[in-house]
Amino acid sequence: MSTIELRKLTKAFGSFVAVRDADLSVSAGEVVCLLGPSGCGKTTMLRMIAGLERATAGDVIIGGKRMNELPADQRNIAMVFQFYALYPALTVGQNIAMPLHYEKLSPADSSARVKRVADILHLTTVLDRLPGQISEGEKQRVAVARAIVRDPNCFLFDEPLSRLDVELRHTMRSQIKEVLQGLSKATVIVTHDQLEALTMADRIAIMRDGSIEQVSTPHGVFARPANVFVASFIGTPQMNLFEADLKASAGGTADVTFGGAPLRLQTDPAVGRLAPASKVTIGVRPRGLTPVSLAAPDTITTAAELIEPMGAETLIHVRGPNKSDLRVVVPREKRVAIGEALHLRCDPRQTHVFDAQGQAVRT
Amino acid sequence: MCRSACVGLRAKGNNATADFLGMLHMTTTALPPPPTAPDAPAFLTPALDNWRGAIAAALVLSVIAIAALPAAAAFWTVGALVALVAATFVVNAFRRHYYGGLLVAPAIAMLFVMNIFPLLWSLGLSFFAYQSNRQTMKFVGLHNYIQALTSDIKAPENWANLQTTAVFVVCTVAAQMLVGFLLALLFAKQFPLRRYLLILVLTPMMLSVVAVGVFYTYYYDPTFGLVSQVVNRMCGCQYVLMSNRAGAIGGIVFADAWMWSPFVMLLVLAGLVSVPKYLYEAASIDRVSSWRSFWTITFPYIRGLLMLALLFRTIEAFKLADLVILLTKGGNGTMTISYHVLRIAQEQNKTSEGAALSYLLLFVVIVLTNLYLYVANRRSQEA
Amino acid sequence: MADIITKTPIWEKLGFRKASGVSEAGWGHTALAAIVSLIYFFPVLVIIITSFKLQTDALAVPAKLFPTSLFGLLPESMTFKPTLENFTSVFSRAFTNGGAVENTGFDRFFFNSLFIAGTSVLLALVIGTLAAFGFSRYPLKGNDTYLFIILTTRMLPAVVVIIPVMLMLRVVGLSGSYLGIILLYTAFNLPFTIWMMKSFFDELSPDVEDAARIDGSSDRRVFFKICLPQVLAGLAATFVFGIILTWNEFLFALLLSSVDTRTVPVAMSQAVSGGGIGVLWGLLAAIETLFLIPVFLVTFFMQNQLLRGVTFGTVKR
Repeated sequence: MSTIELRKLTKAFGSFVAVRDADLSVSAGEVVCLLGPSGCGKTTMLRMIAGLERATAGDVIIGGKRMNELPADQRNIAMVFQFYALYPALTVGQNIAMPLHYEKLSPADSSARVKRVADILHLTTVLDRLPGQISEGEKQRVAVARAIVRDPNCFLFDEPLSRLDVELRHTMRSQIKEVLQGLSKATVIVTHDQLEALTMADRIAIMRDGSIEQVSTPHGVFARPANVFVASFIGTPQMNLFEADLKASAGGTADVTFGGAPLRLQTDPAVGRLAPASKVTIGVRPRGLTPVSLAAPDTITTAAELIEPMGAETLIHVRGPNKSDLRVVVPREKRVAIGEALHLRCDPRQTHVFDAQGQAVRT
Repeated sequence: MCRSACVGLRAKGNNATADFLGMLHMTTTALPPPPTAPDAPAFLTPALDNWRGAIAAALVLSVIAIAALPAAAAFWTVGALVALVAATFVVNAFRRHYYGGLLVAPAIAMLFVMNIFPLLWSLGLSFFAYQSNRQTMKFVGLHNYIQALTSDIKAPENWANLQTTAVFVVCTVAAQMLVGFLLALLFAKQFPLRRYLLILVLTPMMLSVVAVGVFYTYYYDPTFGLVSQVVNRMCGCQYVLMSNRAGAIGGIVFADAWMWSPFVMLLVLAGLVSVPKYLYEAASIDRVSSWRSFWTITFPYIRGLLMLALLFRTIEAFKLADLVILLTKGGNGTMTISYHVLRIAQEQNKTSEGAALSYLLLFVVIVLTNLYLYVANRRSQEA
Repeated sequence: MADIITKTPIWEKLGFRKASGVSEAGWGHTALAAIVSLIYFFPVLVIIITSFKLQTDALAVPAKLFPTSLFGLLPESMTFKPTLENFTSVFSRAFTNGGAVENTGFDRFFFNSLFIAGTSVLLALVIGTLAAFGFSRYPLKGNDTYLFIILTTRMLPAVVVIIPVMLMLRVVGLSGSYLGIILLYTAFNLPFTIWMMKSFFDELSPDVEDAARIDGSSDRRVFFKICLPQVLAGLAATFVFGIILTWNEFLFALLLSSVDTRTVPVAMSQAVSGGGIGVLWGLLAAIETLFLIPVFLVTFFMQNQLLRGVTFGTVKR
């Protein structure tokens, strides 16, 4: 059984708390990405799962067994390090064979296993070279090969692609995903790149300042962000977030004042539970704003300030009420001049309302 | 190994940068172009920056001066000529904006005067019959070398002293490497009070060799010495440590190894702490045994430094003279070749004989060093 | 929140820096290391203990190693009464050397050691830093060959160089003078000064210097205002290592110094020449203890830099 479960996991370095009360469970065959800005504690969490750091409080349960006190070598896990951690004095083949020594295989068995993973990861031609003599992409594949050469409880990846250039990252991403799909092990990947997380993960755990903010599917974190932080962190261009005063709300329609101008929004019916006249934060994705020809109660009146063509679409920075900056993505065909007035209508499915504490208001 | 490992490659781009900056000045600001370097003067031109001509003239003149003038006058003449050559180099460097040479010049001059020139001098002396307490000086060619290697009286003595030196080198270097390595393993961890305990171990290295010599005679003293007391208590007899050859050599080796093991320890420690921590973490996740992880991860990192320590300590052990002087005065078969040369040249005033012998010694050291570097290089290429 | 904050390890509270790449061990390891260290340190400890002994205690059999009886715990035969007499007499008393009364003059010898070591190391630092900058920034053809030759001069057997140097100094009339020995020590310190300083200069980012040049700084200004301030730690480390080496040097000083320019090691070696019972061990121990203190303190506070010294600057921390 290959599962990972974290219960109220906490790690403190002196007075600094790196991870706080983290709960997470990863089932067999599932890939979970820990995503967050640098310094949010995601690598610390991974190292606690691996047994390289000792948890201050809480439990690490791997394959149904509590493993808090076990050192890394008794947890039967495989890990790919950020800097690959290839043994510099050994050839690629010897590097891959390193975890097999523990299993006391015969040399023939061992080299057959090495050969098999080298085939999967296209490394057969470099098996006799030293790590210093191969490319970054090959090093990365060697690190993965060393992890999958044996049959561990789970896989851990620490920023596996951060050292590769953009093109290589694309190919490696799909390769790793392919390899992982054939293994059906619990896998945890740490990354700060949301694209990596969105493409590789079955579920994403978004972290900030040591706490897990939301755990959901890639679709879930994008379409139903739990709070303002997740909303702003996921998605490019970034979601527009602006503060407004809630006037009245009923039946999925909310009247707010945004920078002095009234605005009528189609929202989740749960907004009706909020007290009238409370402060809210409205979030609308740039692709959820559509310019319409005439001003209406449900449009925001803005003026175009900066135009960035992005190829298929065009990103327009507009100045809205109360000097707010908003981003709008329009199709390439739509021509906009600088200074032109734009009336923006919000797509109800891409409009999110967050309460004064920053939590999403949803049914 | 030492050469390639130590020499930085970083500064290569700077000349190109300087050229580029020169162009920048010319194109962007309307400043006059930097003065172009004048061509080197022809060989025979009497110019102040004609260093080729100056060297040739100085060589001819100094040969004449050495042949014709008495020693002191010849020395000053040669000195003045060397200064002249140096001056032409400096002027040359200034005129061609060759700042690298200017910066390096004082150091090279210093090393030339105090190291290279004396070396050449003693090379010259070794071909003469000269004693520093007499004024006569006679050219004898290779006579000193032949005497040192084949004479019935001198050759066996030199040979015996060289053998003694070899015994010292092998014993003391082996002991230092072993003790230094074990100490380094002990200190390659982070533990409370590490800093304070480390300094205790380092202290012997900071003692002056005289103090070590003086106080080891105190410890080895047959009546009140601490070591003798312990040994006598154990064997129940009156054992005088420094009275036979094995004891004397052992005593000197012990003192030398005690003093210099911390040096090896520091070198090995430098290697041990430079191993990236994530390699050990990866090894523990791959469930590599600690024995295997030592040989595959740790040892490759410290191999170069171990070799360096071996080289340094071997050369130093070859020079071993001071402890011998202080502990036994060369008695009981502890005369090393280094001390022997010193004694011939200094105490017996046979300067040119000493010079010839020291050149033979230098030859041995150079051969050993090159052999060592050859082996080390081949090893690193294999790896 | 306070309950999840764990105990800070005691050494971190004491301000200890965590070394990289080393695993952590606990007090058990400390105990082991303490035993080994104390055994290793024992000969030095005996020197220090002896410096507090009277001559009769120093020559006692069996050796008296403890300054107190620990409230009667130890037998009287193993303890001695500590005295400061040796330390006071280092600078004041004449003592006999093989029968003849000789003024020890250790105040003068301490001054000599300090003056000679200080001057030559400083001189080597100035010359060597310039050369190191030259080697680092204006690479010559065959640069590494020059550097290697410079390093090997440090490894020549002293005897090969010392005889001609003695002759040369005699001819020039500097034999036994401060200048002669200072010059020799400067040359002796130069190789590793160049190597160490070069390794420090090589580490600096070239971008800063290029930026300064583009802003119109001259080469001299770049050196003094940009490079030098960045290698101050390196200068300190080189200075310290040079001092340690020069401070304890014996063979050159023995052969090159006269009565007036004698350094402490030379004077000590002559004070002990009789050997046996005639030597004032307590006094010698006091001299060595005093002589050790400066180097000990310097090393203690520059421990991290020492590593670069022993490896000629090739190992970076």
